Amino acid sequence: MVAAELILRDLAFGLMLGCVFSVVAHGLNIIWGVVKVVNIAHGEFIMLGAYGAYFLNLFAGITPLETAPIDAAIGLLVGYAFYYAFLHRELHNKETITLQSEMVTLAATFGLSLFISNLAIIVFTGNPVGVIYNPGTLQFGYLIVPLAALYVAILSILIIAGTWLFLERTFIGSAIRAYAQDVTATELVGANPAKVASLATALGFAVTMAGGALLTVWIPVGINPLMGALYAPISFVIVVLGGPGRMWGSMVGGLTLGVVIDLVQAFTTPQIAYAAAFLILIPVLVFRPEGILK
Amino acid sequence: MNLRKPGLTLYGLFIVMALLAAAALLLGVAVSSILVFLLIYAALAYSINFITGMIGYVDFGHVLFMAIGSYALATLVSYFGANPLIGVGAGAMLGLVFALGIGLVILRFRGVYFAIATVVLVLAAYNIVLQLPQLGEGGEIIFNLTFQPLAPYFTIWTIVLIEIALTYYVNRSRIGFGIRAIKSEEDAASSVGVNPQRLKLIGYMLGGLFAGAAGGVYAWSTSGVTAGPAFDFTVSLLMLAMIIIGGVGTSIGPLLGAVVVYIPSYFLLTSVAQAQPLLIGLLVIIMALFLPDGIVGLLRRSNKRLRLALE
Repeated sequence: MVAAELILRDLAFGLMLGCVFSVVAHGLNIIWGVVKVVNIAHGEFIMLGAYGAYFLNLFAGITPLETAPIDAAIGLLVGYAFYYAFLHRELHNKETITLQSEMVTLAATFGLSLFISNLAIIVFTGNPVGVIYNPGTLQFGYLIVPLAALYVAILSILIIAGTWLFLERTFIGSAIRAYAQDVTATELVGANPAKVASLATALGFAVTMAGGALLTVWIPVGINPLMGALYAPISFVIVVLGGPGRMWGSMVGGLTLGVVIDLVQAFTTPQIAYAAAFLILIPVLVFRPEGILK
Repeated sequence: MNLRKPGLTLYGLFIVMALLAAAALLLGVAVSSILVFLLIYAALAYSINFITGMIGYVDFGHVLFMAIGSYALATLVSYFGANPLIGVGAGAMLGLVFALGIGLVILRFRGVYFAIATVVLVLAAYNIVLQLPQLGEGGEIIFNLTFQPLAPYFTIWTIVLIEIALTYYVNRSRIGFGIRAIKSEEDAASSVGVNPQRLKLIGYMLGGLFAGAAGGVYAWSTSGVTAGPAFDFTVSLLMLAMIIIGGVGTSIGPLLGAVVVYIPSYFLLTSVAQAQPLLIGLLVIIMALFLPDGIVGLLRRSNKRLRLALE
């Protein structure tokens, strides 16, 4: 029964890894789903969130879990700034985003990604750092689960559930969903589209940076200026798997990716596992371009 | 504009190329070993221009074809003792074949979906290369060739010359009109008799062919290839930056962009390695938001004569 136990263990770790992947991709999902813009610099903001956790741990001695709300507050401000600096000119007074505007936002956020990651190398140096956070373990039969990973998984689910509740149950949330469906109609019922879009962008950034803080629990020595180059593509794959704009889609995509990576890795190598995780995207785009959920 | 008569842009580009050839012949090895990288940058800029510049499909993963070309040359030269020129040819052919195979699938995705597919393909290819023992430990192949700086120089010089002529021809020909129609509205283009799938595939294959050739020359000039730098996203992004800065889709833009992107790399590399991509990133943000048609667009608006002459 050793093989079955190992598979169960990998499944459990895959699911927990999937939860943190979900929350890391969730911010991208919100922005992509509502304002229809793909932020190529998404990975860089995950990286900044992770450094937030590192520095707050270093100077204030607080854990990554406690950093998450602080990162989220910073993310809100950064998101507002990002919206007005990068998106407002392209989005306002437009019913739908044109291909031309899509190219402009892709190019501009790609420039931003190049800028932030290289600035980060100069400021933070290229040496990887990490946060030590180990609240112990929990034993389920033969399965030993680190509590840190479990807390992060629970918090990730709560964050995604929270954004879902916010969008479904509050008045502002309805306005954001309305904007995602029809900008002109939103304006006709009296909502200011720029305010709604900037709020959605800010919300996306808050989740992204909080996700970066939670991610540090999984990468004890892996916070570095170039980590965005891995987590941005992972986020792209997750959002496409789940379908942009579906709040629970992040969860579906994240869990799928986490389980695929951990299970493939159990039988082959980490390289093949990541190659498989990235290549899933191609058949999904060919056969289920709306995501794997119906 | 008389489309049958070659314009000033083409003459200007040929004069620049003639000067580059003369510089290598007259000024010696020190100059040509610097300029060879400028020409490699230019070759890469023209190659991505065929797909992203002309057709408007943003390719974040163009470095994939460069890596394929580098590995083709490194394998042939180090394991089979082939002439590097054959390696460059093989790199170009492999780039073309891979672009055909990949393009048949991913050119069906539009806008950001295409862009994202190109990103994940590079990461997947990188992880696969690390798994192939034939491509060396850590995907590293190093070889020794007798020092002959002029041979790679004039190889890449010829490649850039072909790219310039082809870009200029395509931009002015019937195909060029079809391609621009796809760029502005793909569905409308197909309804007036343009075949978008075929033209996109041609553009992508040309991009793969020339990036493969440039990758071959790159491996030749640096006497080897390593997986990390070969699949470095920064290189992909710099290619994209060159055409955004120079002017997407134009015949002269890629060369202007290559000069702008290359020069700071040469002067700043000695002080802070990150200064070049940092500055380029800032420049791309400014260009994308305020000057979407690049330096060429700026010059065209500034002066009526330039507006007619620059293509």
